[in-house]
Amino acid sequence: MAKKAFFKNSGSIASLLIVLVIGSLGFVLPDTFTNDHKQSVVNAGSSAKKEIEPTRIKADNPMPIYGNWKNFTSKNGLPGDKAYCVKIDGDRVLVGTHEGLAVYQDGKWKTYTTEDGLAHNGVLAIDVSKQTGDVWLGTMGGLTRWSTGTFENFTQMNSGMPNNLIYAVTCDGKDVWVATGGGAGHYDTYAKKWQIFTEENAPMHEPWTYGVCAGDGKIFIAAWGGGVVEYTKKTKKFRDYVDPDGNMEIDLFPDDGIVHDITTGTSWSNGILWVGTYFGLSRYDGVHWKGYFDHDSGLASNFINFIKASGDVVFICTDKGLSTTDGNNWITYTKNETNTNGKAVLLTDTHSTEMTMTPSISHNYTIGVDVEGEQIWVATSKGVSQGELLKQPLQ
Amino acid sequence: MKKTRLLLLFGALVVLGLLIYFPGHKWARKHVNYMTAVTDHPLKCTSCHLSTSKNAFIVKMLNEDYFSPFNSAVSKDGSRLYVVSQDLDQLLVVDTKEKTVLDHIMVGVHPHSVILDQDNSLAYVSNQWSDNVSVIDLATSKVVDTLDTGNGPSGLVLSADGRFLHVVNTFGSDLSIIDLTSKKEIKRLVTGSDPTGTALSPDGKTLMVTSRRARMVPYGEPLVSDLTLINDSTQLITKHMDVEEAYLMENIAFTPSGDLALMTLIRPKNLVPTVQVEGGWMMTHGIGVIEQNEDGRIVQLLLDEPNSYYSDPFDIVISPDGKMAYVSNSGVDCISVISIDSIRAIIKSTSTKRLETIANDLGMSSRFVLKRIKTGANPKGLTLSPDGKKLYIAEQLEDRIGVIDTETLIKEKSIDLGGPDRITVARQGRRLFNNAGHTFQNQYACYTCHPDNHEDGLVYNMAGKDMGRNVTNTQSLREIGDTPPFKWNGKNQTIYKQDGMRFSTVLTRTEQFSYDDLDALVAYIKRGIKYPPNLMYNPHGELSEAQLRGRELFNRSEDNLGNVIPENNRCITCHPPPFYTNLKAFDVSTLAVTDDSILFDTPHLNNIYASAPYLHDGRAKTLEEIWTIYGQDDKHGYVNDMTKMQLNDLIEYLKSIRASEYYQEEETEQQASFVKTD
Repeated sequence: MAKKAFFKNSGSIASLLIVLVIGSLGFVLPDTFTNDHKQSVVNAGSSAKKEIEPTRIKADNPMPIYGNWKNFTSKNGLPGDKAYCVKIDGDRVLVGTHEGLAVYQDGKWKTYTTEDGLAHNGVLAIDVSKQTGDVWLGTMGGLTRWSTGTFENFTQMNSGMPNNLIYAVTCDGKDVWVATGGGAGHYDTYAKKWQIFTEENAPMHEPWTYGVCAGDGKIFIAAWGGGVVEYTKKTKKFRDYVDPDGNMEIDLFPDDGIVHDITTGTSWSNGILWVGTYFGLSRYDGVHWKGYFDHDSGLASNFINFIKASGDVVFICTDKGLSTTDGNNWITYTKNETNTNGKAVLLTDTHSTEMTMTPSISHNYTIGVDVEGEQIWVATSKGVSQGELLKQPLQ
Repeated sequence: MKKTRLLLLFGALVVLGLLIYFPGHKWARKHVNYMTAVTDHPLKCTSCHLSTSKNAFIVKMLNEDYFSPFNSAVSKDGSRLYVVSQDLDQLLVVDTKEKTVLDHIMVGVHPHSVILDQDNSLAYVSNQWSDNVSVIDLATSKVVDTLDTGNGPSGLVLSADGRFLHVVNTFGSDLSIIDLTSKKEIKRLVTGSDPTGTALSPDGKTLMVTSRRARMVPYGEPLVSDLTLINDSTQLITKHMDVEEAYLMENIAFTPSGDLALMTLIRPKNLVPTVQVEGGWMMTHGIGVIEQNEDGRIVQLLLDEPNSYYSDPFDIVISPDGKMAYVSNSGVDCISVISIDSIRAIIKSTSTKRLETIANDLGMSSRFVLKRIKTGANPKGLTLSPDGKKLYIAEQLEDRIGVIDTETLIKEKSIDLGGPDRITVARQGRRLFNNAGHTFQNQYACYTCHPDNHEDGLVYNMAGKDMGRNVTNTQSLREIGDTPPFKWNGKNQTIYKQDGMRFSTVLTRTEQFSYDDLDALVAYIKRGIKYPPNLMYNPHGELSEAQLRGRELFNRSEDNLGNVIPENNRCITCHPPPFYTNLKAFDVSTLAVTDDSILFDTPHLNNIYASAPYLHDGRAKTLEEIWTIYGQDDKHGYVNDMTKMQLNDLIEYLKSIRASEYYQEEETEQQASFVKTD
């Protein structure tokens, strides 16, 4: 529960009221802070109908704001402080740490390690198959299928999996995809067959892959130095999206393509592909690319570790905090250097607003995030943070 | 003069005959001695050369087509019994009152199970060797649909609302859920290894799936098998239960009240030398009782007795009043009749600590087994009539349905399915293979360690008493007739030797087979056991791109740098088609410290995908591990220059290798084309 709301830039009283009303519902409506106020709000609690400016990205749903943060570290349940990933799975939360898999259920933590059957204690990625309920864990020593109590490990030594170092895992129907240090891997759970994709058989710069996601009948692989590699499942064909400016660290021509070839994550939702890089964020609607940087948007940092799209919003884990955006509006959560408190900065085209968070997220170096319903979990280098969608009026 | 000539001619013939007879007899004796590894096997050419012939005409003359009933289902009114004929790919419709066969319905390949829908309008038959389910309209006795499944469908059960068909995939080790409206598989859930049995709890909430193979563990660790619980409503797995020190859990059934589920199982002692069989207790057979309460304990009870074992429990059914259970003991041709109330009393009156060790108590069966009823050869699937008064037994190798009156517990006149009356040599061999009568106190049959004539996935210590360890991975017996020698080190030149005196000395610890029985057993093993089709990796004989690349690697003579690979270190040298073995011995550098220093018999690779674990002592859990972990010195083929993708391709090709007949056909076709070209 946020106790205070600060407004960095003074605005109209109307703007203040709108922020308070919307904040009380846990949302910031996009485009409600424009100068001319030409958007008309129909129902602040659920959806907003508005005229769209030609240069603006359409955003139909309000931006969620999270607060009431609760942090967990090795002092109160986690096996270690370094949390790499988090996944909400029904009434439990799975957290990948450097010391094993931590499961939070009914207010209690339970840890699973190699002694229980994990391939490796360093759990870097988690996904849950909607079809079967099986949990797939990407670790530093292989892929583990955790099926209600039993662990089955796939390694580069005992299976056709490309490499033991797994940065990302995603379940897509009967298929499981992994992004590894030795290429992307595809496992067909029906046929029990592995396929490997590297620079030898796919448009990649090198086999190192960092992220993988599924959407729209396609698989999007974040390939280190190779931009995004798109695989169409129906045709089994690849194409790549690379930075037209090459590997330059500046974006010479805005919105001409992906912002950089060193990609760290992909996430697809509602027809939009979001791409995280170490040099900014990209958004692709199937036709146009748009780039976002820390100097021209609310993005906490260009150094993006992980992204997760949900609905119209993407959650961006950076080395300097957690950002969320719908393409126009931004909310960035950070922690103060000197204490456990922090803030959420709400940014639109013209307005920036700060909310104090007491406490805030556990650490600014964020590495993983998941949202489901009214809760958000964030993995950081100093534990995990649990946040709630804010509903009460801001104090 | 003429008479003298005749006498001279006769004398010459006698001399010639003697000249041929004595060396011939000596040669024949030597030949038979070598082949049988004994010196007194009758010199009867037909013993080997007739019943193991591959000549199509002789095979047709010698053999018969048996129905081999495997499972059955009964109609709601009890008037019809539907019997799966596994060998003839049929579903037989039987009039239970007249005890006559009314109809034969052709289904898919090697059918396994049959169930009926709630109003008895449709029957579903799982076809284990064609990866589908036949849907039969019982009014017209026609197959009206075929539903695709996973690999090796076996056990079947309908969801509580009848909208979904659950199909256990034995070879794929998973469960297909098929939407009967769309007739499509909607999901596949991972189960234990090699599952078959399944049952839905009476309240329709929980589906249980039994597995037959234990989870793979390093030699020395106790085995654990999986019992999978699935929520029928969410269609998600709720639990994988550990069943300790047991495997081959063939079937499962719930009591009508739902307080217990009972499954058949075997408890092998694979870590002690097999000669321990003479001390008893080497392979024990029983049931697992799964309490349906919060504790969910699994209590294992043996059906065996101190000096008499009841091997290979297969099916289990429970009477409508929930008081009696019937188990088919396939290896000893009998039905064990069980009092479930006695089991309830045993569990209630026994401490938890005692229940943990009760699984090894051979005396327990006297407290809950009411009777043993003899059946025909190799009883398999059991079906109770709806009123519980008749028990129908699929007597697989008797080719008939046994009937027991459950009120008197006396066997009635059986139902003759109309198969051949003659018992062929191969059929006799199959009966011997499936019967535990030749093992000390009936502890196990050949089938016990070779279920489905294949292998049980376990590693055994085959050493004699006080001889240390001789750790050996159970080998598949499918189509091994043309791949001598036998045993991992090739010490047995023939199956005669493998299954003769040595067999009784090391394994059965009782009298060896008579020569007639041995002839029959060898005939069955050499020619009677077929491979299932490789539907998982090579269903049509057309290799995938990866498999084609893998074949190139398999056949290659140069490494990735263009260096010539020595001929004896190429895959194709030691593993040429059609059997993918050159039948020779070789050192592949995988000798264990406890092994005799000796070469390895080159194994055949047909259907190798289905024979995990690998290497002679089962140390490699997957094909990959043969080279990634145990082939780093390049002595088992030159592979270490390969990229991971190349190794994957090679293994995809190995998994595609099918039965030898396909490659023999290819050779014949190639030879024909050469002749035509010439």
